Amino acid sequence: MDSGYYAACTALVSRTQALDTIANNLANASTVGYRAQQNEFSSVLAQAGSAPDSDLNNAINNYGILSGTTLDQTQGALQKTGNDLDLAIQGSGFFVVQTANGPMYTRNGSFQVSGKGQLITATGDPVMGDMGAISMLPGSVSISADGTISSNGAVAGKLKLVQFPAGTQLTSVGDTYYSAPPKSELAATDSTVKQGMLESSNVNPVASMVELITAQRSAEMMQRALSLYNSEMDKTATQELPKVG
Amino acid sequence: MFHALYTAASGMTAQQINLDNIANNLANASTSGFQSRRVQFSDLLYQSEVMPGAAATQQTTVAAGLQVGLGTRPGNTEIIQTQGDLSSTGNPLDFAIEGTGFFQVLLPNNQIGYTRAGSFQTNQQGTLVTANGNELQPSINIPANATNITVGSDGTVSVTLPGQTNAAQVGVIQLATFANPGGLNSVGNNIYLPTTASGDPVVGTPGGADGLGTIQQGMLEQANVNIVDEFVNMILAQRSYESNSRVVKAADEMLQGLNQVAQ
Repeated sequence: MDSGYYAACTALVSRTQALDTIANNLANASTVGYRAQQNEFSSVLAQAGSAPDSDLNNAINNYGILSGTTLDQTQGALQKTGNDLDLAIQGSGFFVVQTANGPMYTRNGSFQVSGKGQLITATGDPVMGDMGAISMLPGSVSISADGTISSNGAVAGKLKLVQFPAGTQLTSVGDTYYSAPPKSELAATDSTVKQGMLESSNVNPVASMVELITAQRSAEMMQRALSLYNSEMDKTATQELPKVG
Repeated sequence: MFHALYTAASGMTAQQINLDNIANNLANASTSGFQSRRVQFSDLLYQSEVMPGAAATQQTTVAAGLQVGLGTRPGNTEIIQTQGDLSSTGNPLDFAIEGTGFFQVLLPNNQIGYTRAGSFQTNQQGTLVTANGNELQPSINIPANATNITVGSDGTVSVTLPGQTNAAQVGVIQLATFANPGGLNSVGNNIYLPTTASGDPVVGTPGGADGLGTIQQGMLEQANVNIVDEFVNMILAQRSYESNSRVVKAADEMLQGLNQVAQ
């Protein structure tokens, strides 16, 4: 059947998937430490016909699909909270968190102290220092730009900050945690810790709205193309052509 | 298909809770000793249609995975610990804490509650109690005939009795701090209860080196609600709610268009 029918269909599916990503970004516009997801479309060339590289084949069998989502690693705005255990990272680094599923990485520095005195995330997982989990000392907490945690001059530990080489694929696992391929982490060099601040979500609502409209309108175009195939051409082929004879 | 509808709904629910919290902060803008709260959100699970780093061929891996997130959820409300403004009242039994400490009060169920609202009175026995009648701990008795009550910045309460020139010390106010005051449980009436998240209270005398803060007599701590910030947050919550509802509309129209294709 008409290959354009499938091309429009594939494009329509990819636009609905794109809408899901945009919806997730907008829903997380207030999530501390959230990194926006960016849609990546790519074309797939169906190897049809006898001359796969012909211009005609390119023209009619080039399907647009949503091939992947990448994380937007731009810095989110730092928001002052005044809480001593709220930490923001300026730079490309991540905090390391020990979870039941192995180490996870997060930019959400809204930490707390557990009943056992350990520094934990809002979800209750221990935050890692250079020497493992950090046991907090009594008294008011001050945290220096390099992540050294101290109370009344006594050092409790130093936060482990890591960064990843460009192109490392981080997997979103929810709760603003990300997992990374094994052995990909490097010690952070460009990151400083800001105490009493949190990094807001780096979702750009304006850009997201534009993407939303683009996805919706291009979905409408695909729908229009589909109905053209469906109602006009196929109808002509099945109903009108037999009458000619 | 169309997670977008549910994802956007999760965003709208989250912003509703955000607005509820902002309303509570604004409603308590004149409650002395009130500490404002902030809702924290976290992202929900992701559906990995293509895992990042998955093998594309035997030699290569995909450039980027295809992960679709399923929305947001409100994670927790954190208590903002910044110092509120101190306003002078002239009442000798109004105390403000300049620092991170909390007054300890005995609740009717014999639990110790913690509060920063320092508007105290004496009950019929002359004991210092809060506006709700909860006794300050350790309990302090003011003799009925005391002419002058002085509270030092280190919490020492002394009174002058008629016919005497020297002030007599009647007690010392102690304050408590927590490793993580943001994790305290708010039970209303300005009272907090400790939780495993907040840690156990560390009690000490005001003015010491342990950061409890000092006591200011004749002052009350105003709510630390920042009206401007709350209004900005309210606008953000409202706009964010709108953008999520716009997604619902877009998803609805796309589905509608899809249904029309088949006609």
